[in-house]
Amino acid sequence: MTDTQSGTGLGSRLRILAVGRNPKRTLVRAAILALVCLVFFKFVLLPVRVEGFSMAPTYANHSVNFVNRLAYFWHEPHRGDVVGIRLNLPPTNGWSAPHIMYLKRVIGLPGESVQFVNGRVRVNGQALEEPYEKRPCDWNTDPVTLGSNEYFFVGDNRTMPKEEHTFGKTERSRIVGKAVL
Amino acid sequence: MKWPRLLLLALVVGLLAWAWVALHPSPEKLIRKQMDGLAHAASFGPNQGALAKLAGAENLANFFSTNVEIKIDIPGHQEHRLMSRSEIPQVAMGVRASVRSWSVAFPDVTVIVNAGQESAVADATLQVKIAGEPDMIVQEVNISLRKINGQWLIDKVETVRTLQ
Repeated sequence: MTDTQSGTGLGSRLRILAVGRNPKRTLVRAAILALVCLVFFKFVLLPVRVEGFSMAPTYANHSVNFVNRLAYFWHEPHRGDVVGIRLNLPPTNGWSAPHIMYLKRVIGLPGESVQFVNGRVRVNGQALEEPYEKRPCDWNTDPVTLGSNEYFFVGDNRTMPKEEHTFGKTERSRIVGKAVL
Repeated sequence: MKWPRLLLLALVVGLLAWAWVALHPSPEKLIRKQMDGLAHAASFGPNQGALAKLAGAENLANFFSTNVEIKIDIPGHQEHRLMSRSEIPQVAMGVRASVRSWSVAFPDVTVIVNAGQESAVADATLQVKIAGEPDMIVQEVNISLRKINGQWLIDKVETVRTLQ
């Protein structure tokens, strides 16, 4: 009898642990939580998988990250930020998130002139300190002057020839958000 | 009127609205459908027979206008320029002969329909996965479409450098 009672007690406790005292209420809570997670990770904090080596060693190939779409709600991107950049025109209506993005670092801000001289970035003629750049390169480019709404982006891995590395300027509206990790 | 009747009425109105939208799709919806069809027609699997490959290559041309202009310039790959629809099946067969499988998708598409609703531009992310290649191709493409005989056909395809 004691055994049966203790068995029932354990089962009851397990059931409470699994579905709560009120299963209906638990179900509603779980549904709300699932909905909030779905909206949050689809529209606000986008999970991304890094493909390729252009941001190595900061981000390894196949590593996982998140892009925060609210990061630039109150302020504009800063130099050194790693951001997601969309590869299609931003939609005119709606807030749909892209499925594929470039992950690059901001090195040039609106109005500035950006140039590579012997692998060093020069912004308005001044050498830029880049502690994240662990692998030096020998790139040389002509100066690029950014418009009032343009930023300049480059990956951290500059060991490949510059023709094989995607970098350059684009408009602010293409920035999806800031990498979180 | 009791609430079950109101519910039934709301359901009927909702169904009618859905049917109206389904029967009269917007140009944007038609273009997105056309892009999905194009991606499907351009893709092929490893087990496709010779006849299916030929049919697929011929079908691909149906998405384009007669005088289509295609300029594909992807860094690290050969540049391709086509100036008419008749060249498409030949190029498609060449691709089918050279790689085992080829998967095309347009995961992100922004459609801008011009005034008059007879022409449009789709700015899209092109994603190509090739069997045996470790990295997929990802490239922005700008696609101009024109409504010809009630069907949205591709008039011009051009790759775009997202970062310049």
